[in-house]
Amino acid sequence: MAALWAAGEPLSAAQLQAALDADLAYNTVQTILVRMHDKGLVERRTAGRGHVYWPARDAATAAAEQMRAVLDGPADRQAVLRRFANDLAEDDLAVLRALLHGERPT
Amino acid sequence: MSLAVYLPLLLPVLLAAAARPLTTTAAPERAARALASAAVLSAAVSTASLVLLALTLLDDLPALEAREHTASFPLPEPVPGPLAAAAAAALAWAGWRCAAMLRRNRAVTRDLLAAGTAHDGLLVADLPEAHAVAVPAGIGRPGHVLVTAGLLRLLDRTERTAVLAHEEAHLRHRHHRTVAVAAAAAAVNPLLRPLARVVTLLVERSADEAAATAVGDRGVVARAIAKVALSGGDRPAGGLAAGGSDVVRRVDALTRPVAGRSRRATAGVTAVVITSATAGSTAVADFIAVARAWL
Repeated sequence: MAALWAAGEPLSAAQLQAALDADLAYNTVQTILVRMHDKGLVERRTAGRGHVYWPARDAATAAAEQMRAVLDGPADRQAVLRRFANDLAEDDLAVLRALLHGERPT
Repeated sequence: MSLAVYLPLLLPVLLAAAARPLTTTAAPERAARALASAAVLSAAVSTASLVLLALTLLDDLPALEAREHTASFPLPEPVPGPLAAAAAAALAWAGWRCAAMLRRNRAVTRDLLAAGTAHDGLLVADLPEAHAVAVPAGIGRPGHVLVTAGLLRLLDRTERTAVLAHEEAHLRHRHHRTVAVAAAAAAVNPLLRPLARVVTLLVERSADEAAATAVGDRGVVARAIAKVALSGGDRPAGGLAAGGSDVVRRVDALTRPVAGRSRRATAGVTAVVITSATAGSTAVADFIAVARAWL
């Protein structure tokens, strides 16, 4: 699912298999896609001999609205969130870039 | 009343200072739990101290004044009246803050749950900014990861795996509880706030190392954190930590070789916890003596 979203364009089962980190057989990927399609999580259209798939928007749009509401909420509520990477001060940008490029700030 | 009653109110500051070096050690999970427990212990002891100080207000009641002269137990030396009143006010304030904090936690979880139903532990929100949060498990419901489409597009395959592994580590270790426990302690005793911040950093470090193990490369995790942070999506309105943010500390820790356990730091924290507990039990013993004198 994450890989489909990351692609930003419809993928065939073979393309998705290539994009996945997990070592999954083509048939497994195909089965998962069909199952997700049955659940309404992904949409598909015919392309060539098979289908291409992309994530269904409805649930993600609804989730986006709700998440936006939390993110734009009061600061004390935001502080409760265990976000992946938060709390970056302006001075840190340069330090972070340096670290990324393998230099150690003194 | 001995000076021991005032000590536990100050020890949290020492505890936080002693805990700082632990953030770079290789066992962040254990350190986070130990510190959260220490925070609770410290909050309990300082609360006991406040109760003790506040109860001395009752000393002034005429009945007790009279009793003081006839009591077989000599009452401990008096605590200044205004100080006792301040202690009573602080107690009420602490209780209110703790309740407010718990209410806020519940509200945020409820809001995040309202975002939708996860499939296979993942819910994608179609937002352009890069965010990822772990939504903790509830009664009869497993936890899940809420991630934005923006984050998934920003990162490559292994970095994506790292972020998901990081959030899943939060869920697996129930980090929201560890953090909430420390935050509750800090709500009761504001002097514990630095310690609560160290606990927050430690659970992030723990999840980072879990992610590094999952993808087999600490550099990938460092890169993912930096990319998300630099994308600005996850930047809150107000900066918190002075002298380098948690993000920088995490990336820095990940780009250094795996550190061994710092025995000195562990010893420092242990010493402060023991002192705090001792001072606390002395205070509580005092309290029991007073209570028995009254009864």
